[in-house]
Amino acid sequence: MTQLNQKGVRDMVQHGLRTGMAWFMVWTYTAMAPFGWAFFACLCFLWRKDPHLRAVRLQRVQTRAYRFMHSWLRWSGITNFDHRRPIGGLPDGPSVVIANHPTLMDITSITAVVGSGCTIIKPAMFNRRLLHGLLVGAGHIEGPGADVLSIGRILEDAVDRLQQGFTIIVFPEGTRSRGSKLLPFGRTPFEIACRAGVPLVSMTVQCDPVYLSKEVPVLRPPHPVPELRLGVLAIDYPRSEGLGSRELRKKVEARYHAWIEKPAKASVSSP
Amino acid sequence: MSDQLEDQLKKLIVETLALEDVPPASIETEAPLFGEGLGLDSIDALELALAIHTEYGVKTEEGDERNREYYHSVKSLVDFIRSRQTAKTVS
Repeated sequence: MTQLNQKGVRDMVQHGLRTGMAWFMVWTYTAMAPFGWAFFACLCFLWRKDPHLRAVRLQRVQTRAYRFMHSWLRWSGITNFDHRRPIGGLPDGPSVVIANHPTLMDITSITAVVGSGCTIIKPAMFNRRLLHGLLVGAGHIEGPGADVLSIGRILEDAVDRLQQGFTIIVFPEGTRSRGSKLLPFGRTPFEIACRAGVPLVSMTVQCDPVYLSKEVPVLRPPHPVPELRLGVLAIDYPRSEGLGSRELRKKVEARYHAWIEKPAKASVSSP
Repeated sequence: MSDQLEDQLKKLIVETLALEDVPPASIETEAPLFGEGLGLDSIDALELALAIHTEYGVKTEEGDERNREYYHSVKSLVDFIRSRQTAKTVS
């Protein structure tokens, strides 16, 4: 067998093993999910007397869970992301963190790195009976409903969280990107940052090869092992820059488009 | 009267939302305001609701799912404002 054939066979075997591991991981997650839910629900109940402290603690639990999940994915060879690698440039104190959104791992990896984060969750998920109490307890925010003016409540809730010292994580595209193209940015995270007067942190997410995107499902892991990389593209200070949310969105969106075309320019310091 | 209110509303939209490149007369009365058409977003809707309240004394109820219909176009907004003003006068 030539060297090339041997490599091809080895790749095929490794890919097959990883696909099997992905199946095992999905099965394990499904089996363990009720226990994880029960644990989180108990903590939510135990810490019910102080909602702010409860949210702080539950976010710590959530962060640890995400870190463990990514470590497990790394050990099992399904993806390669190490949250312990330092990412320079993250500000101290509350901020609005935004990022492009290529995969399902974006929120878990960003939370694992940032250390906490309130997110805006679609009402259909936020109001699920088994999840509602836990999401409220952890300080997350219900997303916009059928009422076009419900954005007012979201902005108030987000500013309130920031004033309490939490970080807000938002994907301005609103959903996962389609392929390598960015969807148009919504104005919500920029409006939140402007109203609260906090830094807006633009993070970048790269997954190569792409996995857990809209096109690549969990049970079809690509080959070779997908590497997830996070970086800080820029930090904006809306108040000191005197920018409104409209101008800020335009500026940041253009910056992301420039980055997508030339990803090497990003200040990436993780793997 | 309705033409006057439509024109006033178009001017209010441009001024409130700082749409510098959009002449009020170019806004089509029945075209959608959000998404397509003028391309406004939900934050624009919020700012517009506040401006309408200040200008016409008409309050938009938060949580009302019909808000999407009221804010669909300039025409639907005019109808909404007029109906609320009439209801106020009657009461």
